[in-house]
Amino acid sequence: MANKAFAWLDERLGLTTIYNVVLDRKVPKVNWWFTLGSASAILFLLQGVTGMFLAVYYVPSPQSAYDSIQFIMNGVAFGWLIRGIHHWGASLMVIVVFLHMLRTFYYGAYKYPREFTWLTGVVLLLCTLGMGFTGYLLPWNQRAYWATTVGTELPGTVPLIGPFITNVLRGGAELSAVTLTRFFAVHIWFLPAVIGALIGVHIYMVVKLGISSVPDRED
Amino acid sequence: MDDEQKQRYLEKYKQAKQQGVKFFPDIIYKDLLVSFALFIILVMLATFVGVANEPKADPSDSSYIPRPEWYFLFLFEMLKFFPGQIEWVGTIVVPTVAILALFLLPFLDRKPARYPGKRWRAIGVMGVVVLAMIALTIRAVITTPPQVEAETVATTLSESILIGQDLYSINCVECHGPDGEGGIIEGVEGLEGYDMKSISAQDEMYTRTDDTLFNVINYGQPDLGMQPFGIAYGGELSIGEIETIVDFMRYTWDDRAELPQEVTQASAMPTLGEDQVPSYDVHIEPLVKRYCISCHRPGKKNNNYLMQSYEEVMNTGDHAPNVIPGDLASNLIRMLHREEIDAGGPMPPTKALKPEIIAIFERWVLGGAPQTPEEAAAAGTVVTGTLTAPQTTAIPTP
Repeated sequence: MANKAFAWLDERLGLTTIYNVVLDRKVPKVNWWFTLGSASAILFLLQGVTGMFLAVYYVPSPQSAYDSIQFIMNGVAFGWLIRGIHHWGASLMVIVVFLHMLRTFYYGAYKYPREFTWLTGVVLLLCTLGMGFTGYLLPWNQRAYWATTVGTELPGTVPLIGPFITNVLRGGAELSAVTLTRFFAVHIWFLPAVIGALIGVHIYMVVKLGISSVPDRED
Repeated sequence: MDDEQKQRYLEKYKQAKQQGVKFFPDIIYKDLLVSFALFIILVMLATFVGVANEPKADPSDSSYIPRPEWYFLFLFEMLKFFPGQIEWVGTIVVPTVAILALFLLPFLDRKPARYPGKRWRAIGVMGVVVLAMIALTIRAVITTPPQVEAETVATTLSESILIGQDLYSINCVECHGPDGEGGIIEGVEGLEGYDMKSISAQDEMYTRTDDTLFNVINYGQPDLGMQPFGIAYGGELSIGEIETIVDFMRYTWDDRAELPQEVTQASAMPTLGEDQVPSYDVHIEPLVKRYCISCHRPGKKNNNYLMQSYEEVMNTGDHAPNVIPGDLASNLIRMLHREEIDAGGPMPPTKALKPEIIAIFERWVLGGAPQTPEEAAAAGTVVTGTLTAPQTTAIPTP
């Protein structure tokens, strides 16, 4: 019965083909540093899932943001765990993604034929930092508020277009409710959409080209 | 890389694959192991370290020292090397160059060599950059002054109410009374003799929302003689602190709100045995905080009698000592009994304390005005019968 069901599904979904192409393929023998890529992806998923749960209670307005997080921490069952994982996961993700980049660099894995994989990787690294920057404001506490005040002020020092950039980042001259909602939108929609799509491309490239090998003295 | 080199690479990679392992299960197994370990680390961090509780954002409090998330600290620190006019070099030129270099890396470094030992220049540059980032981060951590965070952050409603109660006692009692009952104001500059209406009455509570209460405290009501209390308007209270006061008022006075049990327990009078001597730390301090400190702190009209600590209660004041251990004719006790003496008039000026509270003060003075519970226990017992006779002075100091 189970075999029959599998055959039915396989005929329609091509499960065997997926297994053959994606899972049952030979790859070079590599070391533990090569686990950082998948760890980055898993961390992104974990941040996504915890983020969704946080979004159930979080309210992106200056009046309610802080209180809604206090409620998540004290009023919601396991809210402290979800927020704790999301909070620490952000830092860990930056570390893991950065180390992943360093490993790629160290082994020269950005070279032919993986240049394009590297390019998507750089965008992913920048997006990860963008997630850190936008997410930092959302708790709307003193630390968040003042760090973002300074962080959005810095581009203002650019000659000519500086003040314009600051204005776009803040949605006005001052940090306000508008800033909070746009950081929120960028944090939960824009950047995750870009990251999700690029992870897809990134992984497709890895499967297509195969993971790079650890170079020996002759490489 | 020319075509020949490309062919050679692909050929060699093919070999490496053939001598290699299966993606499933070998690689997947390692990946899952590492990811699972990271997940466990996160759960541990969330459970045992948690997330620091910060005070609510307060745009008016510009004394706060901004600090970015730790992984941006190196950028922050780097800016210090580009002061004044050339700041934009640090804010835009350096980051742009770094990001561009990272993007263009595969096109800048086109040599076929992959083995790190053959690429000492590229590795060297990246090594220096990473070391610089680490060094700048460490430098930022060392040089940033510690945050002055005097404010206690309430994490639960109960904590908020209790913090609010203390802040109310300090800031509001001198005009509004300990229970918001109001009355004729005495001893407050500019408001002497003003008949303050009750702010804890039902119609007050029902017609004023939390926002209204917040705004009244924050902005004050200058036309009615109430100064602003918010930092932004010249007062001393942060936004978070004002919110705790609003919580205290709402949950203590509004008969529609139910005071959490924790608060009732925490603010209940500490138990005092029939013949036990009260101590300052356990019994007197909460009373002083609640009924006296609003006026008896620096900057108020109080004949320089401050009551913020045991030492101040015992030693300060123009008519010091106001508390003489064992002497029920101490200024403090006589004034609580609403006598008019050299040291001043009845205290608290608007309304007498309840007899049972005055009794605690008397027992304490009679027992030698001990500070700690240990000293109080050592002082032994007082005969409760003497309490109602404030003129009795005969009991010697232990």
